[in-house]
Amino acid sequence: MKNILKLSIIFTLVFSLGCEDFLNVTPDNIATIDHAFRMRTTAERFLFTCYSYMPSHASLNENPALLGGDELWLVATNSNPIWQIARGNQRIVNPYGNAWQGANGPKDIYQGIRECNVFLENIGLVPDITETERRRWISEVKFLKAYYHYYLIRMYGPIVLIKENLPVSASPDEVRIPRSPVDECFDYVIQLIDEALADLPVKIEFEVSELGRITQAIALSLKAKVLVTAASPLFNGNTDYTGFTNKDGTPLFNTTFDKDKWQKAADACKVAVNFCDSLGHRLYEYIPLFSQYTLSDTTMIQMSIRNAFNEKWNPEIIWANTNSMSSGLQGNSTPRGLDPALTASTGAQGNIAPPLKMAELFYSNNGVPIDEDINWDYANRFNLRIPGHDHRFNLKQGYTTVQLHFDRENRYYASLGFDGGIWYGQGHYNDEGDDILFVSSKQGQPAAPINLSSYSTTGFWPKKYTHFQSVIGTGSTFTRENYPWPVIKLNDLYLLYAEALNEVSGPSTEVYFYLDKIRARAGLPGVEAAWNVFSINPDKYKTQAGLREIIHRERTIELMFEGQRFWDLRRWKTAVNEMNNPITGWDLDQSSAEGYYRERLVFNQTFRLRDYLWPLNENTMLANPMLVQNPGW
Amino acid sequence: MEKENSLKLRGGFLFLFAWMVSFVMLAQNITITGTVTDSESNPLPGVTITVVGSTRGVITDIDGNYSISVLPADQLQYSFVGLETKIIPVNNQKVLNVVLEEQADMLEEVTVVAFATQKKENVVGSVTTINPGELKVPSSNLTTALAGRVAGVISYQRSGEPGMDNADFFIRGVTTFGYKKDPLILIDGIESSSTDLARLQTDDIASFSILKDATATSLYGSRAANGVILIKTKEGKEGKAKLSLRVENYISMPTQDVELADPITYMNMHNEAILTRDALGILPYTKQKIDYTASGLNKIMYPVTDWKKELIKDHTMNHTVNLNVSGGGTVARYFVSGGFAQNSGLLKVDQRNNFNNNIDLKTYSVRTNVNVNLTKTTQLDVRVNGTFDEYTGPITGGTQVYRNVMRTNPVMFAPYYEPDADHAYVQHILFGNYDDGSNFYYLNPYAEMVKGYKTYSRSLMTAQFEIKENLNWLLDGLRFRIMANTRRNSYFETTREYIPFWYQASSYDRVTDTFKLSLLNEDHGTEWLNYNPGSKEVSSDFYAESVLSYDQTFNKKHVVNGLVVFLAQNRTTGNASTLEGSLPYRNINLAMRATYTYDSRYNFEFNFGADASERFHKSHRWGAFPAYGVSWNVSNEYFWEPLKDIANTFRIRGTYGQSGNDAIGTGRFLYLSELNMNDGARSAVFGRDNAYGRNGISIRRYSDPEITWEIATKSNLGLELGLFNAFQIQADIYKEVRSNILQTRVSTPAEMGLSAQPQANIGKAEGKGIDISVDYNKIFNKDLWLQGRFNFTYAKSKFLIYEEYYYNDIAPWRSRIGYSINQSWGYLAERLFVDDEEASKSPKQNFGEYGGGDIKYRDINNDGQITELDLVPIGYPTLPEIVYGFGFSLGYKKFDLSMFFQGLGRESFWINPNATAPFREFYYTNESLPGRPQNQLLKAYADDYWSEDNQNIYALWPRLSTSAIGHTNNSQTSTWFMRDGSFLRLKQLEIGYTFPSLLLKSMHMENFRIYFTGTNLFNWSKFDLWDVEMGGNGLGYPIQKSFNVGLQLNF
Repeated sequence: MKNILKLSIIFTLVFSLGCEDFLNVTPDNIATIDHAFRMRTTAERFLFTCYSYMPSHASLNENPALLGGDELWLVATNSNPIWQIARGNQRIVNPYGNAWQGANGPKDIYQGIRECNVFLENIGLVPDITETERRRWISEVKFLKAYYHYYLIRMYGPIVLIKENLPVSASPDEVRIPRSPVDECFDYVIQLIDEALADLPVKIEFEVSELGRITQAIALSLKAKVLVTAASPLFNGNTDYTGFTNKDGTPLFNTTFDKDKWQKAADACKVAVNFCDSLGHRLYEYIPLFSQYTLSDTTMIQMSIRNAFNEKWNPEIIWANTNSMSSGLQGNSTPRGLDPALTASTGAQGNIAPPLKMAELFYSNNGVPIDEDINWDYANRFNLRIPGHDHRFNLKQGYTTVQLHFDRENRYYASLGFDGGIWYGQGHYNDEGDDILFVSSKQGQPAAPINLSSYSTTGFWPKKYTHFQSVIGTGSTFTRENYPWPVIKLNDLYLLYAEALNEVSGPSTEVYFYLDKIRARAGLPGVEAAWNVFSINPDKYKTQAGLREIIHRERTIELMFEGQRFWDLRRWKTAVNEMNNPITGWDLDQSSAEGYYRERLVFNQTFRLRDYLWPLNENTMLANPMLVQNPGW
Repeated sequence: MEKENSLKLRGGFLFLFAWMVSFVMLAQNITITGTVTDSESNPLPGVTITVVGSTRGVITDIDGNYSISVLPADQLQYSFVGLETKIIPVNNQKVLNVVLEEQADMLEEVTVVAFATQKKENVVGSVTTINPGELKVPSSNLTTALAGRVAGVISYQRSGEPGMDNADFFIRGVTTFGYKKDPLILIDGIESSSTDLARLQTDDIASFSILKDATATSLYGSRAANGVILIKTKEGKEGKAKLSLRVENYISMPTQDVELADPITYMNMHNEAILTRDALGILPYTKQKIDYTASGLNKIMYPVTDWKKELIKDHTMNHTVNLNVSGGGTVARYFVSGGFAQNSGLLKVDQRNNFNNNIDLKTYSVRTNVNVNLTKTTQLDVRVNGTFDEYTGPITGGTQVYRNVMRTNPVMFAPYYEPDADHAYVQHILFGNYDDGSNFYYLNPYAEMVKGYKTYSRSLMTAQFEIKENLNWLLDGLRFRIMANTRRNSYFETTREYIPFWYQASSYDRVTDTFKLSLLNEDHGTEWLNYNPGSKEVSSDFYAESVLSYDQTFNKKHVVNGLVVFLAQNRTTGNASTLEGSLPYRNINLAMRATYTYDSRYNFEFNFGADASERFHKSHRWGAFPAYGVSWNVSNEYFWEPLKDIANTFRIRGTYGQSGNDAIGTGRFLYLSELNMNDGARSAVFGRDNAYGRNGISIRRYSDPEITWEIATKSNLGLELGLFNAFQIQADIYKEVRSNILQTRVSTPAEMGLSAQPQANIGKAEGKGIDISVDYNKIFNKDLWLQGRFNFTYAKSKFLIYEEYYYNDIAPWRSRIGYSINQSWGYLAERLFVDDEEASKSPKQNFGEYGGGDIKYRDINNDGQITELDLVPIGYPTLPEIVYGFGFSLGYKKFDLSMFFQGLGRESFWINPNATAPFREFYYTNESLPGRPQNQLLKAYADDYWSEDNQNIYALWPRLSTSAIGHTNNSQTSTWFMRDGSFLRLKQLEIGYTFPSLLLKSMHMENFRIYFTGTNLFNWSKFDLWDVEMGGNGLGYPIQKSFNVGLQLNF
């Protein structure tokens, strides 16, 4: 009997363990998505999550507009994924700069759109938030949703619009959504921006904590930009895409040109320009608060040009991306060995190289293209010449260099570094001083290639990226004045407005007005004055087509290296002309000026019709058979 | 047992008894003398000899001799624990030499099955048992012994690094593409890891079984879908203490070394690699440097470093000692063992450091098994086991050292420099390095190896308590037992290291042959060690099971067996990185078995396991796994009688049933969503100076309450045949269908924007195969015996349902359906392009830049370009489908010889084209290196590559490239780098000598054997760059061969 008792005790003990409770090990409050919207603080985190998908504009690996075109080049061993696009290696297997899926560079933009939708679905649930703030947040997220869609449209053309989220448990058929026609895509972006506008702040009041967040000025500017893009030849009546349809036959491009699109664009530009002007935005001019040196006018103008881009929160900047800082880029753009006292310093790698053709794009000091200037000897531009005293602010006095570097506009010297070129700043601020830095990059000189990765493959450097107060130190130090990447600047808006106006109604004083504003800041005469006097083609600006060319050139020069040309060439449909030219530079292996200043082929760049739009990764169409590939891929 | 127990008399009592008997003896007229021996002619001391029907008796002396006075008509009974009792009539004989055979019912084979043992002839499931003695390998790693020795196990070893050399093993291959693929390992009922198994002392093992089919495993419910390895350790037997000692010392060395090209070739080819891709490229070596290096001008300025020689020794010594004692009396029995093993690595040690950076793994183990009879019907078993590892070794491990060696330029710098006059005061080692101005130094593998060391300690303690109660008084044949155990695992590591100072030799003056050493990283190097706590693991398991069993025979013909098991287990870990991971892991299992045997001829078995796992939603928590089986002992039929001499035994078995798997995904609670509420990767900052930032929220998993068990449905058909009293053949053919396999959905397009791909139980796969074992046992005469064995396992899997992209009419060859789970897809490499022109005219290959000398792939779908749609299944699966082994043991007099061969087949592997790409900067996955690597040049590549001078379109290595973009085309998974992984190797050769018993007697020894063993001696395969068993991992720590001297002593 004792044993039976023992036995039953044991049995009871063991089986009592067996109840369900034993298996319920998960506590009730494991975080779920609901938790994100129960308090303002967590909802704010979700708002920041939506912002976190903002593309890193200053990242060489992420922004296709930096290394994907022909503005900057790298040494051959570099494995940057975006640069492979420039080298013609774009492909349908694991494409480079794949923002559709967030691979090979960019962030996953569709993921960002989903987060925005989650936010919009749930923000109404947050109890402890004021209605004003709630509306502001909703508007910000709508703007982000619009920007993300726009970002994809610019790359892929017609995209799949994700107006609302699909449930995770949706069946395969429900989630297979086709691409929408490109006009519909642009309309949706504009609709979102319009919805967002009213509740966005006019300007940021809490500057120390909120600068960088979306304002009305940003939204209006983006709207202008989106509409200009929609009106541009790539998307407006592009007959190259005739027959580009969805599987059900829906045409994805409207192949009929619609002038009204330009009108809308011009209107939006005008609204944006006026609104920004009213807030006090203006073209930046360098006025040091304190300077122990009196600088020459030349240096002042060049500092205005350079700082307009890299002086943070200057009045010209409408939208800067605080989540993408310039720090890395400054290291890439400053020549290693710039400071002869610090040749061993590895703080600056100086490995992004503007091709020679970029240098040729800049105007002469008369404000017209060098091959159009009646006074500028284009044919002999590679002849050697020794700069005299009058060139001392631009070129190292007595240092043999090449004719190309002489008599150029200030934007040339402000934007580019090159052998024999003065490099103002970086701790050396007296432009009359002997210690002013200049680049010397021939074989045996400090900035010459001495290793496999840290040199410019063309002999040019994008000086514009480097803030003049950043300081190269010993070892690997390079202490940088960091600045957020300017996404939209006023000069960009002015040029868009001028472009749209010219497209709507041809040359007009209003067009010249905005162009001349830009030119004046660069120290150049106005369009009419310059062409009338110095151009071999003095009537160019009087025709719509001629003026279009001038506006395109002005835009390219003014916004060089700012991530605009890449997209501009595409929307203008001029990439086929511009990007089928060889990438060239100086003959870096040479130590003599005669040897060095020979144009050397670096790469034969090609651009085909299909390159206007990104390829979809092959597997996107396998996952969603409703998708069609972009033409030519 | 009981009968022998009662006959077993304690020493003092025996003496008294013998003394009494001697009085009686006086009245008798016959004195019988003789010797009692065992079947191997060893004299047996202590054998009890009694006169049947009386209480008189004697015992044998130490030499097995006895003398007893009897009547001529008496019968004598000889009995000894564990041996068969013999009754022999005196019949007027004077001398009776008796041989006692091993006890019959001890010989009758029992098979360990789930929660019980069954008579071998009644088992219907597919179970492989293996004699533990066969698992002895000169290595402290038991897992390496499985391949080819155990039918039904697919196993291979990829690395030879002590502590990291566990072989991978799978029962009947892999049938799931889910998370957990490896079998359940139970050591004395305790769920164990493969490292626990690796550390188990072979001498401690009493039985080793592999449960393969559904009836054998379904009782384990959720844990058993991938098969079960059941191990029982030895227990003490009644009798005087037996002591057994084994000592082994062995030399181990790599089976094969990877050959590298000479340094001059290295430099020339490196230059060529740059120029062939980029005519403007900057050359790494000047002609002067190449010439000076070739002429051996100045060894420091123009160094030639054989890194492997600098870092790695030719061979190393290892030791193992194992001691066990067992014995006991009527009340309690014990088995105690202790083991020690020391394995050291092949790395060199820098004497200037006062620490050991070579791998030194010491493993200690202690095991105590005690059985106590509490009452007549109650037995208590206590088993305590501890296994302890103490390790010191290089910071990143031995494999990393090998990998580093393979990624260092041989001509850039020396491992270290002797201090020159300028640095005479320097206390630290002057490690070599090279500064190319990029401020990122090169990898100096020597410095990485000797700059510090890592230690780790692992302790594994298990304690088990079991009570067995015989409930005969309630119902004859009813038993109950309850067992509880706990397993405590703790592991921690620490690293101590200094940061090496880099020196560069420069400013060479050829005239005076002088140079200067300059310090490169003054700011970074340290002369002192710093300390880094490493990873720590602690876990605690608790397990309890209670078993009620019934076993009865009615009318001698009907054997009925029943079993009900209830078990629960709980595991917690102390170092989980997430809340979910910190919650206990739990299982409850209720299982039952009923068997019926009729007349030793027909067996029927029904099993049922019901299992619940905490990982699933309440509604899907329980899984039910039934299994059925029958077997027919044909040879026990009357009609078989005439055949019995030829086919001694013949059985047919068949089973069908299910088992489950709850370890289906990396995460836990897959039904819940998983969020990171504070994700730095999703943060944003704002403000003039970026002063205001907030982290974001990210979803790592979406919730899905439907997620549940993976289910294995297994059927098995088995055959057992004994022939000529010598051959024992067992063959099983099986099929398994694995359904509900968790897989990541691919039907969610990128446009949905999910931050995590959902998973669902949609996959289905099938496994099929056969396992055969043939054993041969023959004792020819007293002096000669022969054993042979052959094992063969063939396991093939295939996908039945797998959610994949919409390939239907686009690229049906991409579909996995119908292919092995381990099938690889790759491109068909035709040859190398003849020239750039051919490359530009051929279908566009979508990976990087390519031209003449790069690999040309076939455009399968003829769409004019090579894309992922042109991937086709290539080669055999990456897991071998065939594993086999065969061998023999031969004894002649005191000598024995055994040889064992092992092989595997139907396996493909790929030479890693990135890891072996000459001059490239290669990083392994998730690896961060303190310096820049630069791949070495394999001699095989240097001898056979495409160059502009030698445009061999079938060269081993395509056109050289140093850049990623030039290399990507060639590094695609393709048939170009595919190799046949099959091999056959002489796994083990052993020669032993057992000392004659006469000699031993004087030393009070029972047995003394000395033996020599060689492991991994020869290898036959089609691949010769490295040991083929390492597969694509050939640049890591090589598999070892070893030569061993061992001693086995029994007292």
